[in-house]
Parts: sequence; C-alpha cells; structure tokens
Amino acid sequence: MSQNNALPKKFISSAKKCGFDTALMQAAGVPHFYAESNKILSFQKTAGLEMKAQSFKEGVKIKLIVKKGVKIKKPIFLCFGILKNQGKQIILPEIILEEKAEAKILAHCTFPIAEKITHRMETVMKLGKNSRLSYQEKHYHGENFGAEVLPNFKVLLERGSFFNNEFILDQGSVGKLKINLEMELKKEALVEITNKIVTRGEKDKVEIFDKVLLRGENSKSLIKSRAAAIGGGSVFLQGETVALAKGACGHIDCQEIVIGKKSIAKAIPIVEVCHPEARVTHEASVGKVNQKELETLMTRGLSEEEATDFIVKGVVR
Amino acid sequence: MALLKIKNLSVKSGENNKEILKNISLEIDEKSIHVLMGANGSGKSTLAYALMGISRFKVTGGSVIFLNKNITKLSIDQRAKMGMTLAFQEPAIFEGISVQDFLRAGNKKISRKKTEEILSLIGLEPKKFINRYVDQTLSGGERKRIELASVIALKPKLIILDEPDAGLDIIIYRELYGILENIKRETKASILLISHREEVGLIADRATFLRRGKTICSGPFRPVMRKYCQSLKRKEICLKTMPCLKNL
Repeated sequence: MSQNNALPKKFISSAKKCGFDTALMQAAGVPHFYAESNKILSFQKTAGLEMKAQSFKEGVKIKLIVKKGVKIKKPIFLCFGILKNQGKQIILPEIILEEKAEAKILAHCTFPIAEKITHRMETVMKLGKNSRLSYQEKHYHGENFGAEVLPNFKVLLERGSFFNNEFILDQGSVGKLKINLEMELKKEALVEITNKIVTRGEKDKVEIFDKVLLRGENSKSLIKSRAAAIGGGSVFLQGETVALAKGACGHIDCQEIVIGKKSIAKAIPIVEVCHPEARVTHEASVGKVNQKELETLMTRGLSEEEATDFIVKGVVR
Repeated sequence: MALLKIKNLSVKSGENNKEILKNISLEIDEKSIHVLMGANGSGKSTLAYALMGISRFKVTGGSVIFLNKNITKLSIDQRAKMGMTLAFQEPAIFEGISVQDFLRAGNKKISRKKTEEILSLIGLEPKKFINRYVDQTLSGGERKRIELASVIALKPKLIILDEPDAGLDIIIYRELYGILENIKRETKASILLISHREEVGLIADRATFLRRGKTICSGPFRPVMRKYCQSLKRKEICLKTMPCLKNL
C-alpha cells in the first residue's frame, strides 16, 4: 500500500538545507513516511518492511518492522514537522529490526517558521540479534528561536547487534532542545552515538542526556558529542556509560567550542564500572577555538571570523 | 632584488614581555631559499612568527617591508593575502576537514586537478589522500607534507617554514629538501627555512645566523654556515656529513 510521495515545498527546502538528497526522498519506490502536524502526507513500504501508522489529535503513531534477515538497500526516509508558526506535534515511533535485519533510516524534523511550536517524540527501538541499524536524524528549527523540541529515545540492542545513531542540528536556530536517550546493550552489541549541535543566539538552549547501559559481555559503546555554543546560546551535554559485564567497554568523547559573550558550554561525563574486567574512558574539551588551528588558517588568508566558521563546520560536520 | 626587508626588528614575548629579538636586520631575495640558523632559543621561530604577525609576539621596534610595503602593523590574514604564509613546526590538526577542503581553504578557485598535482609534488598519492581528514589519523610526516601542500596551494611569494625537517628521519628529510627545491621551482616563491641541519646547504642560497636574539651574520650560505659551525665547534662534523661544505 502506498500513497503519492508529495512533500510540501517547505519540507523539501529545509531538507535540502540539511544536506538531504531531496531527489531521492521524492523518488518512486523509496521507502518513506512523511507527516505534518497530525496529518500523514505520504508513505511507501517495501519488501520486508512493515509500516503501520495512525494519526491522533496531537500527532502520529508509527510502527516500522524490518523483517528477519531482510536487508533494505535504499534508505528509509522519515520526515516530521509543523509548517505553521505555532502548534504542537507528538510523534510516537516504534522501530523494530528483527534478527539479522539491516536498514538505514534518514529522519528529518523541520519547523521552518516556528515561533511557538512544541514537538515531542517518544521513540522506542528494538534491534534483534545480529541486526544493524544506521539512524541519522537531522533537524531544522527555522530562524526564529521559536521551537521547543523534546525527543526521547529508548533503545534495546540484542546480542551482536550494531546501532549507529547520529543527531545533527547545525542549521538555523535551536530554540529549546532537550534530548533524553537511554540504551541497553546485550552481549557483544555495539553502539555509536554522535550529537552535532550549533547554537546561534541567546534563546538557544540545548540539553542532551545520553545514557548507555553495557549489560552484556563484550558490549561496546561510543558517545561522541560535538557542539558549538555561539551567539549567547547554551549547551549542556551529559554522557553516561555504565559497564556491568565482563569485557564491556565504553568511551565518551565530548568537544564543545564557545564563541561570543554569554555563550555557555557545559559537559558532564559520568562513568560507572561494576565489573573488574570492564572499562570506560572519557575525554572532554570545552572552550575557545584552538588558537593554533585559527592561526594556521589565518596564515592561509582567512580572517578570524572565516577561520572560526571553517573550524566549527569541521567539528560539527 | 629583495622580496622582504627586515630593518632593526625588536620583538618581545606577549606572555612575559621579555625581549627575544634585538635589532634584527636581514633581506630575503626573490626566488631564493634563505636559511635561518642558530641554537635552540636563539629566536629563529620567534622571528618567523613575528614576520607572519602572530599576535603573541609584540614588535617593539623596527619594521618589516614586504613587496616594498611596510607590513609591520598588518594582521596575519592581511599578510597572507599579500602573498606571505607560514607552515608551523607541528602543524595543527582539523577534525572533520578533508585534505581537499584544507587545500582550498585559502584559495577557493583552485581546481581538484591542481590540488592533486600539488599532492604529487610533495610526494603523496592524490587518490589516497585527497579525501582523508586532516586529523590524528595522519602520521606526523604525512601531516607535514599536507601543510606544505596547503601553503603551495596559496601560490605565495614567500613561504616561511618552521623546521619542516624536525622529527623526520634522515631518508625523509633528504627527500624533503628535494620537495622544497621542487616548490621553489614550481611556485617561484622564496622560502625562509628554519633548520638545525647542516644538510640544508644542499638547497640554500643564503643564510642568517642568530644567537641570543641577535644577528651574528647574514649573507651567502657557506660563510654563514662556517661561522655557525665554528660557534658550535662542529666544523669537523659538518665537513664529514656534508662534503659539499668542504670549501667553507
């Protein structure tokens, strides 16, 4: 069952801004699910991909199941947003990869003219044994600092599964962003979590809480966060890794750049090890742009502002 | 004809206000390789950074004339736009920046083909390196070569190189001197080269010997090298390792 893949122009332009392949997003046969406020705009299933969705008063509920052993070659596009300047949206995605399934999901959340918008997302993901999921979520909150975006994720990784999770907000304003992510890993499961955020003004407030429980033997995790607090914005990043089993291994890597008066960056790594043969490490760097990087680029003819912009783009790319 | 003229330059450290260079004067000719030599702490790197306008060094007297213009008060990027650039001894690393982007940072018009030619010139296989990141995954030697590639991409008139041979083994640094000659030939730029190694005599045209922040002598390479070796009581070593310096 499918519907016409017609994305509103505002969705397309913001997706383009965030670097999506918008031609592919609109191509026939590409699996996708697109919703605006509580309206389902378009969806497309593919072989081995089950998709069930229903709308309710304030949002949309969607369930994706990639069947056992199925490898979906094309990316699955998800697009959610509010195209008015005010409103509320609740998205309830449930994403399940059965045993040995593989998929890549490219998600886009957009609020291009947000002035007073609240977007809440409660995502549940289950990765079956030896499955692989790459999930990239790119946001665009417009230029008016008027979005309040509150995504929560609960993820369970079964034995031998792999999850690559990337969250990017590097265009436009942020408004208020608060992410809560909790992951639980079974034996030999592996997760890589990456956050890339740039604030632009004093009204931008970012709080990210990533928590990984390494419950299974030889489970491994990496939490990598890159943020630039610019124009008086504030960024708070908390990465927590708890290692509970033999051979469990985790690392938290946080880098935050602070540019301009009133900008604030704060990082709290929490590491907890409850097994003598487990190990968790962390590193953090918070502060001004590296002087040597700046001077190097200036010796190539870039002004201080151009050099700073170049460095920030690299860090959050 | 002199490309760069340094007249009675005095420089203090921006950190502790200590005078590091006192009345330094020297000239660098067009299309030449000029070596700055001297023991550790003699002020070589300070001179290089002060010439480039790096802000942690304060010029307290004298002037720097580049292309007949007094650039003493210009910023780093203004000097770079005039055609002067510097490669640091330990190059910075850049997360998320590819070699291609790094080479294009100061010269947006440069084509991909040209960046590949530059990588070949400095001894790196273009296909292998053009999309790699300028980060900690590169070895020290590879990073130094990419630094050289980046300064060549600017098509500068003067390249200041702060000990590009430091930390390299003998085979690599001899190859490096060949690369520097290639750079001089290809770009027609002058090179101000800071080095401790006597072997720079293979490529140098002129030299300046600094000691404790002062110019001891400046001129054609060999007499300056002789003076430097005498100061270190190392003439015999120099002659043994560098037959080309026999007539010092």
